[in-house]
Amino acid sequence: MEKKRVEELVAKYNEGLADPSEIIVIEQLIEGGEIELTQLRQLSSFNEQLMKEEGPLPSPRLDDQFQTMLGEEKRKLVKGSFSFKFAEWSVIIPRLGLATVLLVTGFVGGNLLQRPSSSQDVQQLTRQVGELKEMMMLSLLEKESASERLRAVSLTNEMDRVSDKVTRALFQTLNHDTNVNVRLAALEALTAYVRQSAVREELIRSISMQDSPLVQVTLAELMVSLQEKKSVGALQKLLDNDSTPKDVKKQIKKSIDILI
Amino acid sequence: MEALADNTLMEKVRDGDLDKLSLLFQRYKRPLYGFFYGMNKDQELSEDLVQNTFFRIIKYRHLFRGEGDFKTWMFHIARNVSHDHFRKNKMNFKERVENWQERLGHEENRSTEMQQLEAQQMLSMAMDRLPTEKREVLLLSKYQEKKYKEIGEILGCSEGAVKVKVFRALEELRVIYKQLEKIM
Repeated sequence: MEKKRVEELVAKYNEGLADPSEIIVIEQLIEGGEIELTQLRQLSSFNEQLMKEEGPLPSPRLDDQFQTMLGEEKRKLVKGSFSFKFAEWSVIIPRLGLATVLLVTGFVGGNLLQRPSSSQDVQQLTRQVGELKEMMMLSLLEKESASERLRAVSLTNEMDRVSDKVTRALFQTLNHDTNVNVRLAALEALTAYVRQSAVREELIRSISMQDSPLVQVTLAELMVSLQEKKSVGALQKLLDNDSTPKDVKKQIKKSIDILI
Repeated sequence: MEALADNTLMEKVRDGDLDKLSLLFQRYKRPLYGFFYGMNKDQELSEDLVQNTFFRIIKYRHLFRGEGDFKTWMFHIARNVSHDHFRKNKMNFKERVENWQERLGHEENRSTEMQQLEAQQMLSMAMDRLPTEKREVLLLSKYQEKKYKEIGEILGCSEGAVKVKVFRALEELRVIYKQLEKIM
């Protein structure tokens, strides 16, 4: 567009006389770089005022929170580099175990194929596969990577029966894993075993150990669906805790109201 | 010069010298807080979101290649943090907006108080009444110091498209401002 026509449009806009079709043309010219926002006086004064406005100040709490978080991350880093020295063994041992179990499974499987199968053999094979999965799950839970740990937790879904060792590992994950998603996955996996009273008791104990709002709310919801009245005390403690977020408190209050 | 220093610091953080993040935090906590506070008007939440942004910076530090500007990368993360929060807490956000609108309604009625408002405060009120997307682009423009190309990288559009977005947002801001002036 001719420079003169552009100037005319800008002048018209600055006098507040540009009609909607001209505004569309102005937008196109802005996009094409033919009109700069600074040329549009009415708007640029707003823009300048916005730029001048003093931003709000955060409270000292932010500095404290940041330093705590940084400290934790530094600790994790040191721990990570220390454990690296043992990385070779921590990788080799589960692999060796895995190879052995695979060998045994192959051997048993081969035998089964060679002779008429009996239910006893099938049971033995199933048990060995179960043990293999359990072993894989426990070794994957030790990994630094959260996605590996998630994989470990999801392996329990494929297990027909789980040992106490597995439920203990799941609780350890639920209560201490650094990643919220992994903790949530562990909680979901544990819901399959809520018929066991020991699991229910551990779940109640876990309420007070959670600091993630998501896990806290999920646990509270689980307690409601289980109608677990024994959990009211633990939920109440969470409700009384000043550091529990407001929205979580609201949800917990609802859960307590349903339970009592 | 500062951008270079920012990138150098972030590269050190990426390589494991996490202490250097303290310097970046001191440099950017206020603009980040201003951005979040401008979006949600909640002091505690905004501080939490600043914290989450720095947490993600640590978590994804290996993805910082140092090719672009650290500040642009940081605001990109900040924007995701803000969006993720409101996606997860849609209801809370709605409640907050409703509270805010209610509060704004009271403020409008208090004509004597309104008379004491200076232009800057009026502008701030007008900003709060802008739709989220328009408010976001103006806040990014403010805290990214009108670097439209960088804002385009954050929003995933061209520099020209950002300028048009800013133009439209300022146009609407002007209209709201005039309405508030009339109420006065």
